[in-house]
Amino acid sequence: MEDRGWWESFQTYLEFRYDEVLALAIEHIWVVLISVALATIVGVGLGVAVYRTARPRELVLAVCGTLLTIPSLALFGLFVTIPGLGLGARSVVLALVLYGLLPIVRNTIVGLLSVDAAVVESAQGMGMGRAQRLLRVELPLAWPVILTGMRVSTLIIIGIAAIGAYINGPGLGDLIFTGLARIGGANALNEVLAGTLGVIVLAILFDLVYAVFGRVTIPKGIR
Amino acid sequence: MTEGQAKIGLVNLSKRFPGQREPAVDDLSLEIPEGEIVIFVGPSGCGKTTTMKLINRIIEPTGGRIVLDGEDVTKVNPDQLRRRIGYVIQQIGLFPHQTIADNIATVPKLLGWKKERISDRVEELLETVGMDPGEYGNRYPKELSGGQRQRVGVARAMSADPDVMLMDEPFGAIDPITRDRLQNEFLRLQAQIKKTIVFVTHDIDEAIKMGDRIAILRGQSHIAQFDTPERILVDPADDYVSDFIGRGASLKRLSLSRVRDLELHDWPVVSDTAPAEEVRRALESSGKSAVLVLDEQRRPVQWVNADHLQRADGGPLDQVGLPPDAVVQPNATLSDTLNEMLTARYSTAIVVDSDHAYQGIVDIDTINEAVRGMRLAEQDRLRERVSPP
Repeated sequence: MEDRGWWESFQTYLEFRYDEVLALAIEHIWVVLISVALATIVGVGLGVAVYRTARPRELVLAVCGTLLTIPSLALFGLFVTIPGLGLGARSVVLALVLYGLLPIVRNTIVGLLSVDAAVVESAQGMGMGRAQRLLRVELPLAWPVILTGMRVSTLIIIGIAAIGAYINGPGLGDLIFTGLARIGGANALNEVLAGTLGVIVLAILFDLVYAVFGRVTIPKGIR
Repeated sequence: MTEGQAKIGLVNLSKRFPGQREPAVDDLSLEIPEGEIVIFVGPSGCGKTTTMKLINRIIEPTGGRIVLDGEDVTKVNPDQLRRRIGYVIQQIGLFPHQTIADNIATVPKLLGWKKERISDRVEELLETVGMDPGEYGNRYPKELSGGQRQRVGVARAMSADPDVMLMDEPFGAIDPITRDRLQNEFLRLQAQIKKTIVFVTHDIDEAIKMGDRIAILRGQSHIAQFDTPERILVDPADDYVSDFIGRGASLKRLSLSRVRDLELHDWPVVSDTAPAEEVRRALESSGKSAVLVLDEQRRPVQWVNADHLQRADGGPLDQVGLPPDAVVQPNATLSDTLNEMLTARYSTAIVVDSDHAYQGIVDIDTINEAVRGMRLAEQDRLRERVSPP
C-alpha cells in the first residue's frame, strides 16, 4: 500500500467502490435537476412578474442577491430546525432553489428587457394580447439569455449540493464528508477525491447537455 | 360603404400623457375617406405618430372618440380592433425567431384560420410584394435585406386583408434608391387594393408623392391644412404650411404630374434594319443631331449621329452608336423624368410603354409647358376664390 502512488490507490478504490460512487452521482444529478427545475419556474415567474416596473424589479434582484451571500452551511443549519424540513433532501432542495434564483431571475429580466421594443409593439399592433406577446414573442426571444442564467445557476447548485451532505442530503457530498471525517484512515483520501472529482465531472457533463439543449431549443432565426 | 365616405372618423380626439401639462394631441377632429392614402406630416414632436397610434389604440386616448366604419371603437376590445387594422412601423418589427412565412401568418393564426388557407394566403402575399414564396418563405428576417424586410412588413400588415392600414414612416430606414422603388411599388399596389391608409412621415416630398390627401400638423396635432397635395402646394393655408413645404414648390409640383399626362414630342426614328443611306436622309431632314434606332419590336437600341454614320461607313450601325439612356415609362413623375433628362444625351428622355416600345420623347420644352399649364390653373383657381363665379 505504501509503495503504491495515490493514483493507483484511487484507481483500485474506484474499481471496488464503483457502484457506490455511481449511485451517489445519480442522486446528485437528481437533486440538481429538481432544484434547477424549481428555481427556473420560480425565477422566470418572478422575472416575468417584475421586469416592467423598476421598484419591484430592484427589490427582487436585491433579495435574490442577498440570498446568495448567506453561507450555505448556515442556511442548511437553519432549515434543519424548521419543522417539516429537517434533515435530508427537502431542506437541501429548498436551499439550492434559493441559491439558484439570482442568475435565472436576473437573466430573465435582462432577456425580456432586451427584446426589441419595435418587435413587441408590432406584436401588439397586430392584436396579440399581453399573454400571447409574452409567450409567443418575448419569452422565445429572451430564451437564450434565460438559458445562460439556468446554466450558471446549475453550476452554483452542483457545487452547493455537495455541501448538502452535511445535513444528510443526497449526492456526492456524502463521500467528501465521510472522507474528511476520518482523514488519515484507509480510503479516506480516495473518498474525498471521488466526491470532488465526481462533482467536477458532473459540472462538465451538465454544461455539455446545456450546449446541446441550447442548440435544440433556441430558434434558428436568433442563433 | 361607398367611395369617398369617411372610413375613419376622429372626433375631438385628445391624449394627455400622465405628468405632462400640455396634451400631446389636442381636440383633433378629422375624417379619413375610404380608399385613400392620408398622410400625417409635420415636424418631430408635432404628435403625428401619437395620433396614428390613437387610431388602433396602441396609445389609449384620454378624450374624444374613434369611429371605424361608422362604429364607435373607442371602447371595444383593443386586440380585436387591431386585428382589423394593418400596422407597419419604421423599424418594421418582424419576429426574428420566426420564418418569413410564420411572420406573415401572425394575424391569420390569431383569427384561427385553417392551415391551408393560411399557407395559400402567405404565398399570395409574398407574390404580391414581389418575393418568391419558395425562396423566401422559410428564411428568417436576419437573412433579408432592408428592402425585403420592409416588403415582408407590408405583406404581414395585409395578411388578414384589413380595410385600414396604419403606416408609421414605413420607408424611413431604407436607402434613397430602394425607398423610391418601394414607394412606387406601393403606389402600384394601392391602385389595385384601394385600402384606407394612414401614413405618417416627416418628409414633405414623400407626403406629396404618396398622399391622396395630406394633413399638415403643427404642435399638439393641430391641423394646419388638410387637403390634396396639389392644393397644398398651390394654395398653402398659412405661413406655417409654406415654410413646411419649403422652397421649390414648383419643383415639388413636378412630382405630382406624370409623363402620361404630357403630350409627347416626336424624334426622328429609324429601324435597325434600315440602310445607311436612309438613316443619313432621316438625320439630315430632321434637323436634330442624332436619330434613334429602334429594333423590330420598336424598342430603342441606339442613338446614331453623323459621326457614327461616317465611322460605320455603310456597315452595320449597332457597332457605332451610343446606348439609349434616360428611358422612362408613362407612370414616371415629371420630377424623375427631369432628373434623368439633365444627365442624358441630347437633353431628352425617351418614353417607352410597358413592353419597352418607343412612344415619343420628353424634352425641356415639354416640361416647361407642363409647368406653365399648372401655373395657369393655379391662377384660375386663385381668381375663383377672390371673385366667386
